[in-house]
Amino acid sequence: MNNEKVLVIGSGVAGMDASLMLSKAGKKVILVEKLALTGGKTIKNEETYPNLDCSTCLVAPIQQEILQDANIDLLTLSTVEKVTGDEGNFKVTINKTARYINAEACLGCHMCYEPCPVVIKNEWEENLIDRKAVYIPCSGALPNVPRVEAEHCLRLNGQDESCSKCIDACMFAAFDFSQKDEKIEIEVSGIIVATGYELFDVSTIEELGYGKFKCVYTALEFERLFASNGPTEGALTLRDSDKTPESVAIVHCVGRDKVGYCSSVCCMSSSKHAHFIKHKLPEAKIYNIYSDLCLPDKTYQKFNTKVKEESSEFIFQTDRNKMKVSEDGDKILITYINNEEKESKLSVDMLILASSFVPPKDIEEITNALDIERDEFGFIAVEPHKIGSVETSRPGIFVAGCAEGPKDIQRSVLQAEAAVAGILSIQE
Amino acid sequence: MTEKIGIYLCECGPNIASKIDLDKVADELSRLEDFKDKELIIKKHKLLCSVGGKKFLEDEINENKLTHMVCAACSPRDHDATFINVCKKTQLNPYLYTIINIREQVAWIIPDMEEATKKAINYIHAGMNRVLYQSPLEEKQLDSNPDVLVIGGGMAGMEAALSVASKERMVFLVEKSEQLGGHASDLFGLLPMQGETLTSLQRMIAEVKKNHYIKVFTNTEVERIVGFMGNFEVTLNAKNNDGILELLAGAVVVATGFDLFDPNKLDNVNYTAENNVFNALELEAMINEKKKVALRSGEEVNSVVLIHCVGRDEVGYCSKICCNYSFKISNYLQKQGIKKITHLVKDLCLPNKTSQKFCNSVVDNGAEIVYIDEFKIDGQKLTYKSRKGEEIVLDADMIVLAPSTVPGKSTNEISKLLNLDLDEMGFFNEAHMKINPVSTNIDGVFAVGTAHGPGSITDAVIQSKAAGGKILTQLIPGQKIVPEVKVSEVLEAYCTGCKTCLQVCKFDSIYFDDEKGISVVNEAICRGCGNCIGSCPSGSIRSKHFTNPQLYQEVKEALR
Repeated sequence: MNNEKVLVIGSGVAGMDASLMLSKAGKKVILVEKLALTGGKTIKNEETYPNLDCSTCLVAPIQQEILQDANIDLLTLSTVEKVTGDEGNFKVTINKTARYINAEACLGCHMCYEPCPVVIKNEWEENLIDRKAVYIPCSGALPNVPRVEAEHCLRLNGQDESCSKCIDACMFAAFDFSQKDEKIEIEVSGIIVATGYELFDVSTIEELGYGKFKCVYTALEFERLFASNGPTEGALTLRDSDKTPESVAIVHCVGRDKVGYCSSVCCMSSSKHAHFIKHKLPEAKIYNIYSDLCLPDKTYQKFNTKVKEESSEFIFQTDRNKMKVSEDGDKILITYINNEEKESKLSVDMLILASSFVPPKDIEEITNALDIERDEFGFIAVEPHKIGSVETSRPGIFVAGCAEGPKDIQRSVLQAEAAVAGILSIQE
Repeated sequence: MTEKIGIYLCECGPNIASKIDLDKVADELSRLEDFKDKELIIKKHKLLCSVGGKKFLEDEINENKLTHMVCAACSPRDHDATFINVCKKTQLNPYLYTIINIREQVAWIIPDMEEATKKAINYIHAGMNRVLYQSPLEEKQLDSNPDVLVIGGGMAGMEAALSVASKERMVFLVEKSEQLGGHASDLFGLLPMQGETLTSLQRMIAEVKKNHYIKVFTNTEVERIVGFMGNFEVTLNAKNNDGILELLAGAVVVATGFDLFDPNKLDNVNYTAENNVFNALELEAMINEKKKVALRSGEEVNSVVLIHCVGRDEVGYCSKICCNYSFKISNYLQKQGIKKITHLVKDLCLPNKTSQKFCNSVVDNGAEIVYIDEFKIDGQKLTYKSRKGEEIVLDADMIVLAPSTVPGKSTNEISKLLNLDLDEMGFFNEAHMKINPVSTNIDGVFAVGTAHGPGSITDAVIQSKAAGGKILTQLIPGQKIVPEVKVSEVLEAYCTGCKTCLQVCKFDSIYFDDEKGISVVNEAICRGCGNCIGSCPSGSIRSKHFTNPQLYQEVKEALR
């Protein structure tokens, strides 16, 4: 029980908050992040509801603190392969993918991207823009160090071993292609899992036309479109065009009946999106098509009321499963069941689908590696007989944030702080 | 002694060096008229924040015995802390160093090199002026008491107590009423997703009572609390027999609960004690007591209407639990064999992954959900306007109202005792609603459960555990507390005793010395926000690292 190390998996707001708190209590933290950057989904948002705090201003100081904290060892591009042992004495195997760049030497000057000949879609930007094989996902990413992706890099995937364009462009000799993927073995006393969520794949509801009609967007695509560090630097231009929409519909509860729960975040984020659009395109006509307004915080209704008054017409639909979307020239035509239970039509330039939160695709790998149980929806299960528990089925392993189920930033942070209490109590 | 100022210019790779002529900067700074009686050491470095750069700075400070240092580099956001840490390894007091941002504020925004160079010289000169007027500040270390006072003996308060009590940390759990349990004791059961019904509450009460490190004071109120994190002096008034008690605590958890909105305040609701109209807590109590649901006359109930969102528009927020508990009641009624159950809702708020399924099960068992825009209750008569726009009269034996959650009666008192901020709705405010939700405006004081906003028992328990996490990491037994160094101070000679500063201080860090007739800053509590400085009509308060001469010297040069 005298192991002073703790493993935190996932560096979104929940994982970062837990790591900093544990460090303050004198613990050594190994913070494992699958991606090349910290910040989780929060940093995809330009602003957070309801106070419209700039997300970067909210999160960047925390990300910065993580990088500066001598008690926190951040392992990016890493995943957990296996956990053996018991509470107080876990043995963890971590797979760390090589970055091929020496972080100490790299300044994040970005000079290496331009010459890289490989062009692929940037998945972090919801595929709205291209990137290179050496890249950082978005400007402002922390740590501000690019990575070389072995799969696409010509030098590493064998297509052109002589390619050295990025190396030549680097003024700091930061590239190190001798780096190898590593297996790291550590011992920790407790583990916090904060691996987050994904959005429900809206293309599986064919009637809604996502993937078929180019002016249909997911909520996260819209967030990136609106973001000033995003693909269009915040210009709300329609896909493959430089036109801005004159009318936008935002549909709530997409996928709710497929997944079987309300995600509790989408009504507020959709209200926020209406506000964003109105702010940037004051002439645009905005519609929020909803079936219930889930506003689960004392401050949320006020924000929603303001959006209703200033930005958007809220339209009640009686049966959310009967919505159909088609294309009508340049327009998107939405057919829905209105408050009088009659079919109604709405024609807009842009459609945003606010879809449910679901467990990430690799949740099975995560829970198998940790040997913990999932609930009926696929999220990480908590101890069912204890109210407000953040304990997983395996003693010594705690869960926080959307890994446990859909929730907003506040409730993710609360679970992270609760998980810290759990970790500290096992160590006494 | 001549001041010896080290001025270090960071090239930041090409970021600064390619936009600013640093050699020219160094040359011009070395020839400044107003610094000719000072010793200047001006050097460039490729990357000051690198491992080599930090070592370079450390050696420079030590070898040259610098009295002051200016680093011209990037935004203080990025590397102020880095250079402060370098100073801490040396003899140079970190408050005799300053960072000047010539990257974001010069190199990155001024395309013309000549102009950028001129501006960089100007800014660094301003920093040199400022640093000469800075004073060395020393960090203090204060002893702290690890014990915790919890106010409120409901589930939130008990959970907070259980999550921090240990052999190194006593908890004083203070409950105003005769018994532990709070509102949860009035409930006939919990939601299915919250586990087994009331055994959870009973188990929790038993755990609290048998815990050697939790001292429970029932029938007790908090009379007075003064102090700051690590050192709160608490006076309790135990109304049974102990009388006034004094104790010390390092942290305070406020878990004072909620009240229900009174539906009769609504213009559209009018009923008396004879009508079969109940609010949800009354019905809970009836089920608790009689183990069945009956009309006031004792007659059997055949049809029930549950109205959600009662008072929502008036209080201005969704209480987030009413939909769930209305379905809990419905589920109970269905088990009692009552078939005709109607829910009148404005929106369904089901913010828990298992709530939708529970709601669906109640509907599958025959309950009807009707979306409405308005309703009216007059005695036993219920009319509503449906979402379709139809006016409908609904005949039901029993009407159950789910009123909004409002702040508990003692919220106001407690906020005054502790100087806690309330939000516009009257609940306790969070330090930051997103990223610091259980902390308050006062360090060491935490608000949990419905005292801080509507929420379920699950929410309350998680908040309490979170407050536990905060306390366990902020108030470690035996560890000293290091208060903020860059605090305000009152210059006695100038203070007129107007007390304006006492009103604007958000942290309760200023007190009034009646004998001297002046305000005094408690440096252990002050966070250096500067509110008091701006408010002081006689200019008698200053911030220790942002004095007028410091700012004047810097601005004077920057504006030249």
